[in-house]
Amino acid sequence: MLRYTISRLLQAVLVILVMSLLLFMLIGLMPGDPVENMLEGNPALTPETMAQMRALYGVDQPLYTRYGHWLTSALHGDLGYSSVYFRPVLDVLGPAIVQTAKLLVLTELISIPLAMLLGALAARKPGGWTDSIISLLAFASISLPGFWTSLILIIVFSVKLGWLPASGTPLLSDASMSEQLVHMILPVTVLTFFHVGPLVRYVRASMIETLNSDFVRTARAKGLSEVTVVMRHALRNALIPMVTVLALGFGSLFSGALVVETIFGMLGMGKIIYDAISNIDFNLALVGLLLATIVTLLSSLLADLAYAWLDPRITLK
Amino acid sequence: MSTVTADKAPAEAGRNSVWSKRWERFRHNKLAMISLVFLALMAIACAMAGPIEHFTGIDANATNLLRRFRPPSAQHWLGTDDLGRDVLLRLLHGGQVSIAVGLLATVITAVIGIAIGVTAGYIGGQFDNILMRMTDCIIALPLIPVLIVLGAVDLTKIGLSPEAASSPAVVFLRIVIIIALVDWTTIARIARAGTITVRDVDYVRAATVSGAKGPYNVFVHVLPNIATPLIVAMTLSVGRIILFESTLSFLGFGIVPPTPTWGNMLTNAQQLIISAPLLAVYPGLLIFTTVMAVNFVGDGVRSAFDPRSEAGSRSH
Amino acid sequence: MTELLRLDNISVNIPLGGGFLKPKVWLQAVNDVSLTVLRGETLALVGESGSGKSTLGYVVAGLRRQSEGTVSFHGAPVDGEDGKRPVQVIFQDPFSALDPRMVVGEIVAEPLRLKGVPSEQRLARATEVLGQVGLPPEAARRYPHQFSGGQRQRIAIARALIAEPEMIVADEPLSALDVSIQSQVLNLLDDIKQEHGISYIFISHDLGVVRHLADRVAVLYLGRLMEVASRDDLFVTPSHPYTQALLAAVPRIGKGRRKKEQILKGEIPSPLSPPSGCVFHTRCPRAEDICRRERPALLPAPGRPTQLSACHFKD
Repeated sequence: MLRYTISRLLQAVLVILVMSLLLFMLIGLMPGDPVENMLEGNPALTPETMAQMRALYGVDQPLYTRYGHWLTSALHGDLGYSSVYFRPVLDVLGPAIVQTAKLLVLTELISIPLAMLLGALAARKPGGWTDSIISLLAFASISLPGFWTSLILIIVFSVKLGWLPASGTPLLSDASMSEQLVHMILPVTVLTFFHVGPLVRYVRASMIETLNSDFVRTARAKGLSEVTVVMRHALRNALIPMVTVLALGFGSLFSGALVVETIFGMLGMGKIIYDAISNIDFNLALVGLLLATIVTLLSSLLADLAYAWLDPRITLK
Repeated sequence: MSTVTADKAPAEAGRNSVWSKRWERFRHNKLAMISLVFLALMAIACAMAGPIEHFTGIDANATNLLRRFRPPSAQHWLGTDDLGRDVLLRLLHGGQVSIAVGLLATVITAVIGIAIGVTAGYIGGQFDNILMRMTDCIIALPLIPVLIVLGAVDLTKIGLSPEAASSPAVVFLRIVIIIALVDWTTIARIARAGTITVRDVDYVRAATVSGAKGPYNVFVHVLPNIATPLIVAMTLSVGRIILFESTLSFLGFGIVPPTPTWGNMLTNAQQLIISAPLLAVYPGLLIFTTVMAVNFVGDGVRSAFDPRSEAGSRSH
Repeated sequence: MTELLRLDNISVNIPLGGGFLKPKVWLQAVNDVSLTVLRGETLALVGESGSGKSTLGYVVAGLRRQSEGTVSFHGAPVDGEDGKRPVQVIFQDPFSALDPRMVVGEIVAEPLRLKGVPSEQRLARATEVLGQVGLPPEAARRYPHQFSGGQRQRIAIARALIAEPEMIVADEPLSALDVSIQSQVLNLLDDIKQEHGISYIFISHDLGVVRHLADRVAVLYLGRLMEVASRDDLFVTPSHPYTQALLAAVPRIGKGRRKKEQILKGEIPSPLSPPSGCVFHTRCPRAEDICRRERPALLPAPGRPTQLSACHFKD
């Protein structure tokens, strides 16, 4: 187990290094260069000073040299300045991480029990009408464009009915907890609907399998009530592999968060990354994307470890 | 199981019957059939956009500020938008883009995915390890942010002239390629898993003993035997790709106005949700119903091809 | 009769596991085996599962590369997986041996297709060969799933025959079939041998079948050759204690209870860490100190120059 953990961690570090190089190169392909974007619109600018600035910032050097410089200072804790916010990248990203974490945690807190409930209901009688309706909902969930769901909810609940705010964060930074929650209702609803479909399908499939297994038949034969059988025996066993499904879904959930944050104007990681790319803020985009990648990687790593730890039948190779 | 002498089957009966049984099973799936008809009608309607413009003399891109926000009428069935353009025509044009991107990107995705997956699975060893670590890397990426970065890439930095970089064909191909670049991993994994199973089956070994080389085995034995899961995966990926395209276009990194797409029509509608909320309804409704229909068809194909219902043949 | 196949000091080491931070483990599937097969001769490879008999068959067919040693046909060495070998294989499982997406005619004609024979010609030939194995011409247009296990095995035999091989490696060709079908296929194999003069390497754990078909028998245990002898010598006067134990394990009518010490005790050891000296010593009723220390050479049994046996205390 220890050897497996260490080897997976080392692999993850390697993957992160490769990803950082890849993202560095990709972001370098965005229009303009950092100096140009910084000084854009400055009338005093001559080609000579521009060239001087480029030399000063090392922009004129080949890609791998620049990556080397970036990596060295990144490893020393210096991730550079955001050219839009004029602040260190981490100062900008810090509060954004908190914001996104709130959004994702709330979504998971609702999605997981909801998926378990719906999945278990559907699995009780496969092919029945409950199952059909739930599977239709799951199909809708994977077919709905999240940005459109957001717009429709805003039109209905904010514009027409006026019940809920159309922005995801309150204007005042010292808003009360309940006020913050009210602003989160629409974003969390959209994200939950987007996230829950694949989970339901998964829980349903795995519940059907467990309900047909020998130990569940035994439990039924012992005369235990249906609720006890489903809750105590089947659901618990169906849950172990769900750890993996949740972790693998993290990347797509984060993608959904980007869209939702952008529409509801929430200053989370997704929105920051989106703005950074739109405004060609090289440092901010690079670090934001890298952080998102690292979190996704770590979540899949944790899932694999948790899976191995929870299920004694899995042998690590 | 029939015996050899029981009846004299025509030459292609065996193969035809496999496909006709699949079609039979698919045909009995009401949801999938309705979806298939819906998609066919949608494709025809979208293809009609050009002829309709020609006969009615309405140009989908012609702005007319005197005719803004008109309600539905005999001339403009779904009314006009903020620039006085016919909404229905723009939706049909947008549909052309979405469907074309969905199909083309799926084909490219499949070609890349199958080539990589089958090669990795057939050769195995270190080569397979490296390729699979690569797909792990791509799967670890949050897709939408990466698609946005790819969408923001300045094509003049990779050697295209400024005119070429902004031509409609390049903009269209660019989004197709971007999506294919991140989406091939699903198909690659399926192709690899299938290849690994078939590679060491005795009928491939028998061919090897008779002097068959890798390419022969791949094309003659491996591909036909892993076609089923690949077809299912490809159908399902059409829906996913249409969603990717619309999301990217909505965020401003896909296909940009004036070319209408369902995604970028919504970008515009987002500004107008108070004055013209209906403009935000139509494009999204079309994305939703189209993707839903594609997914129903995919699900229908999946159960029609399900090996458990494939009578008589043992599949791998 | 002239020599067709010659195996010199063949060893096959298979790497297992290994990976990041993990050392590779080597499995010695076959260890220093030398054998010859004459033209028209049937050599049976006998042993428990894990004895390396199938691996050795695959080396002959070129499906697996030997780690050491040479494979020669007609005295000329062939290299690795490449190089033309006059060999065809019949596999154990007739279900996985035939591509389910091809019609039987295409399957049988495949060796000719790979030789570049035109389509018309090879399909005509396929129909002809199907007739030789007792299947009607219509069979060529059907798919494998329309046939029973025994019929499928006939199709596999037809595919082997069409290539006109000098040798067929048959890897337990009967063990997946119903007992009633086994004898039919066995007779077919026997007929082919009489008619075409093809040599067989017949891999089996069924000594009854081996006694029926084989001219000579090679007994393998943990990848090592224990005994090689003509069928009659081996069945009548087995020299190696392992061979004796194998024969004693065959149920026979009217023989009463077997002698106790001849029944194999214990499990077959892991091929990953084979015992020292004679690999059979952990289960051998006659094992003594020397067996743990020294590996016995393959030498003639007392008074029978053609019966070779690798034992310090051979009969």
